[in-house]
Amino acid sequence: MIILPSALLLRAVLGGVLAGALCSLVGVFAVRLRMSSIGFCMSHAAFAGAALGTLLALDPLLTAIAAAIATAALLGPISDKARLPADVIAGILFPITMALAFIFLMLLPGPVVGLKALSLLWGSILTVSPLDVALLAILLALSASFTVLFWKELNAVLFDPKMAEADGINARAYINAILFLLGAVVALSLKLVGGLLVYALVMNSASTALQLSYDMKKIFLLSPLIGISAFLGGFGLSLWFDLPVGSSIVIASSLMFAFSVAFSPKRKRR
Amino acid sequence: MYYGSGREYYGEGERLELAVRLVNVSTTYEGERRPAIEDVNLSVERGELVTIIGPNGAGKTTLLETINGLLPSEGLVEVLGLDVRRHGRELRRRIGYVPQDFMVEPGTPFLAKDVVAMGRVGVVGPLRPLRKEDWDIIWAVMEALGIADLADRPVGKLSGGQQQKVMIARALAKEPELLLLDEPFSSLDARARETVCDIIEGLREERGVTALVVTHDLSAIPEGCERLVLLNGGRITADGPPEEVFASEAFLKAYGPVRRVAP
Repeated sequence: MIILPSALLLRAVLGGVLAGALCSLVGVFAVRLRMSSIGFCMSHAAFAGAALGTLLALDPLLTAIAAAIATAALLGPISDKARLPADVIAGILFPITMALAFIFLMLLPGPVVGLKALSLLWGSILTVSPLDVALLAILLALSASFTVLFWKELNAVLFDPKMAEADGINARAYINAILFLLGAVVALSLKLVGGLLVYALVMNSASTALQLSYDMKKIFLLSPLIGISAFLGGFGLSLWFDLPVGSSIVIASSLMFAFSVAFSPKRKRR
Repeated sequence: MYYGSGREYYGEGERLELAVRLVNVSTTYEGERRPAIEDVNLSVERGELVTIIGPNGAGKTTLLETINGLLPSEGLVEVLGLDVRRHGRELRRRIGYVPQDFMVEPGTPFLAKDVVAMGRVGVVGPLRPLRKEDWDIIWAVMEALGIADLADRPVGKLSGGQQQKVMIARALAKEPELLLLDEPFSSLDARARETVCDIIEGLREERGVTALVVTHDLSAIPEGCERLVLLNGGRITADGPPEEVFASEAFLKAYGPVRRVAP
């Protein structure tokens, strides 16, 4: 078992709890709007950004965040222009971001420099700074306010975007705002759980909550709680068994999803 | 009384207030060469109940979605006195729309009452939650359609007919000035059809609501309908009182020698 200094542990736990709540909150939008490949695309865009940042001797985290947010900002308008679902555009962008990442990695001078960019794929929760925690808290407050203030519009869009449009709601604008939020969440959570695993935190908790209720209000409350539990469970596992943090969180959240499927009240015969 | 052309909407010396005015309207789907509706001219007065009939693929749904501004089109589309192209979103807040065969998956995480309440969202506008007076309207339409007891049931668990009533309730909760109903009776039993027809009649009498009802099923023409519009091949081929349309050459050409089942 690993024993950490208390300040470091507190910051890591706080950062993880915030990231768990944040990813799970926006995860409900992503799962309901079937944006599965979008999160995947954004996390790889962030990796390409980190590789580019390392190549240009810039902060890889900043360039990763910029790349994820740029992808999120571009997805909506490109899908509007091409009149294709954002999920399809994300599926096309995903290999492009991977290709760019490998090109940037190949251009790096030595293997050690490349490792700096690669670390964003796996994450490192113990390097979380007070600024990271503050940014996560701000983004969580923004996401929660957005959800509460535009609850009825978002609810209608999540039910059926075309019907929402038929009711005079600007469904496209709400979907683009969700995409942008998703990009920011993925980018800010990268440092904690890594580009490959952040996606699981976004999808697993929301999918678990969706197994437990038919009421969207309850789902939006349950999902962040599940995300926080998945983080705490995974973090505990990683400390206890000396396992990678990101992988442990994914295992914990996947187990929670498996239990929710097995014991879902939605699947019981009444 | 004039039926048919968007250009001549004056009747017996005075201008009639129109709910819908289409002049030379054509709608072509992306990637298609042939328009789904072509050169359509149609004027509908406020408070009128018009049933649009036609065989499968005649362009009935396209016509409704063109009026609703959900599809880009050529020609003039004027609804409630406003150009749909410029005021589409604003108009859709005043139009109650029921889409064809709208069914959701059984696991869909929305309760029936929340889906009906969505009809009020555009009317109320952002940053203002639904208030008691909104919920009074929502409950009233659910009661009228006999689905108040289903309010807390997940919408995906309801039968096809019950889901159709939820979608009709959603359109009515908006307190619309114009109703566009696309095959609204397809999953309803005879009693439920009668209830919906009574509600439409009541809305016409009390608030002058205009209703355009699309059906391919000639036995589902609402009682009280005084005007039929026949679409065939994307064009209006007959327009007038039901008996005239049924007796027309255009009707025979569209449906063949069929016997109409009385509603």
